[in-house]
Amino acid sequence: MTNIFEGKNVIVQGITGAHGGFQARAMLNAGTNVIAGTTPGKAGQKVATAMVYDTIADIQKDHQVDISVIFVPARFAKGAILEAINAEVPLIVCITEGIPIHDMLTINERLKTSKSTLLGPNSPGALLPGVNKLGIIPANMSLEGKIAIVSRSGTLTYETMAGLTEKGIGQKYVIGIGGDVIHGMGYKECLELFQSDDEVDRIVLIGEIGGQDEIEAAAYIKKHVTKPVFAYIAGHHAPAGVQLGHAGAILGSDQESAANKTKILAKSGVKTAKSIVDLINLVVGS
Amino acid sequence: MKLLEYEAKNVLVQSRIPIPRGSLVTDPAKLTLPVVLKSQVPTGGRGKAGGILIIDSADKLQPAIDTLLDLDIKGFTPQNILAEEKLSIKSEFYLSILVDRQSAGIQLIAHKDGGIEVEDNTDFQSWAVNEHTSEVLGQSLADYYELPDQTFALQDLVENLKTCLMKNDATMIEINPLVLTDDDKLIAGDCKMTLDDAAAFRHGWSFEEKLVEANFVTIDPNGNTATIANGAGLAMATVDAAYEAGLTPANFLDIGGGANEETLLKAFNRIVEYPNLQAIIINIFAGITRADEVANAIVSAKKHITNLPPLFIRLAGTNYEAAAKILTKERIVIMPNLASCLTAAKEVIHD
Repeated sequence: MTNIFEGKNVIVQGITGAHGGFQARAMLNAGTNVIAGTTPGKAGQKVATAMVYDTIADIQKDHQVDISVIFVPARFAKGAILEAINAEVPLIVCITEGIPIHDMLTINERLKTSKSTLLGPNSPGALLPGVNKLGIIPANMSLEGKIAIVSRSGTLTYETMAGLTEKGIGQKYVIGIGGDVIHGMGYKECLELFQSDDEVDRIVLIGEIGGQDEIEAAAYIKKHVTKPVFAYIAGHHAPAGVQLGHAGAILGSDQESAANKTKILAKSGVKTAKSIVDLINLVVGS
Repeated sequence: MKLLEYEAKNVLVQSRIPIPRGSLVTDPAKLTLPVVLKSQVPTGGRGKAGGILIIDSADKLQPAIDTLLDLDIKGFTPQNILAEEKLSIKSEFYLSILVDRQSAGIQLIAHKDGGIEVEDNTDFQSWAVNEHTSEVLGQSLADYYELPDQTFALQDLVENLKTCLMKNDATMIEINPLVLTDDDKLIAGDCKMTLDDAAAFRHGWSFEEKLVEANFVTIDPNGNTATIANGAGLAMATVDAAYEAGLTPANFLDIGGGANEETLLKAFNRIVEYPNLQAIIINIFAGITRADEVANAIVSAKKHITNLPPLFIRLAGTNYEAAAKILTKERIVIMPNLASCLTAAKEVIHD
């Protein structure tokens, strides 16, 4: 199986927007092969070295497209994701936040019968230092290496990556699966990738209060993951029933608490930390 | 956004789901007795708190309305009171439809016993809405509720609920109780509804403003340390780390992606209201947010807010170099990481 994250030809949907343009340049600066981008009605323009097209189908007349990174505003995001699915782009990374949940339900149904994998939405994307920067994770805080990080939170991903870099521990993968309730790739798919990649030696999992994703991840780790896993669940001091920031972070029941998730991960053989400072120290000491 | 009962029922009625006759109280003299008066507060546990009164004589109406308007329920007092006909109840059921996180689909959830004690139950029945037609779901509900005569009504109800959920971009509609009246009609006795704020752009929503905020949450008003971070995860992690370091965080604050000077200044103004505040931890890892904008806001806050306690700042990411320049010029120190911020904050805090 080829690794979809190592796909060579990358495009940016929404490349002429403020975020899309800024981030496309940052991706190019990090050495990612951003060959083109789309903004309907702006074909023929250029963003740095990337040609702008109206649609993905138009790009595909000139290039093979391996990965699309989406920066279009939330109200157009459903259309943009569906366009990428219809174009059979192998990996779709959606950075856009605030996509209506019913739009995501429609997209999820469509994904079931498609050839594409979706990362996000409301995700910082993925960074494979020295290989690909697919999204907004700051490449200058990373270091090439063998650790794989997966997280539900954007900035907490950066924090962990930077903390490890500071201690000289490099990363093979830094992946943010996004904070929304309905999303594409989850912990399980990332863990599967990390376990099967021989260049990964240790795994860091970062979770949050709310939902059951980390509990399902713990069950998967216990059954299928033999590499050392380190975890931190954010929100040990979160008040119950209050939404903290993005939609996914709400503590519904005791089961969804940071304490319970930490306990279940620990029982599955994961080394758990109570704070991000603690997490970095655990990995450094391993 | 969570709707109040009367707002939710207005939405239900547009999807042809039966509700009791009623209206908001404007002129008590026009009410038909007996009447049920219901406080319209954005919280649960209203019945137990005394927020529902059944009135059968005219002289008790005004005092009851005054009582309800003054009654504080979990920190909320109502702006409105809903007056409804008194239903003759044969039995009560529970029914809800929601977007389920784990199955990434829509679920229909039911219980035989509706009413205020329903949350104590664990034996709810649920069905994946996308896997069955409304005919099948309505039949299943009729079997489960043991209401064979209501099969057609329940099939209609399921279909209308499903349409209501999707058409209104709702994430949850809960009918509790679903009342079967003495004359065998199914009526939504009470309703809770949550709409997806992200979908506001395609609706002309105009509901009562509810003071519920996701991004600024007070954890301990007497805390000695305020926290400012960007991203929910980093903000929670900053609070966790402050606790672990022996500080008492007053708040959780996620200034969000793309935060600018204005949003930050607003945050500073709220934070300085905490009476025991002795330190502010700022932990920003800029992705979409630009660190130089944060730096400008910090400089501006230092100039304009007089009683600002010491700031312990960690800034990294997009446009860090420009930010460092701005802060260095003003002799404001940036710490290398969160751990050093916490250690330094600990030194200035005294009981």
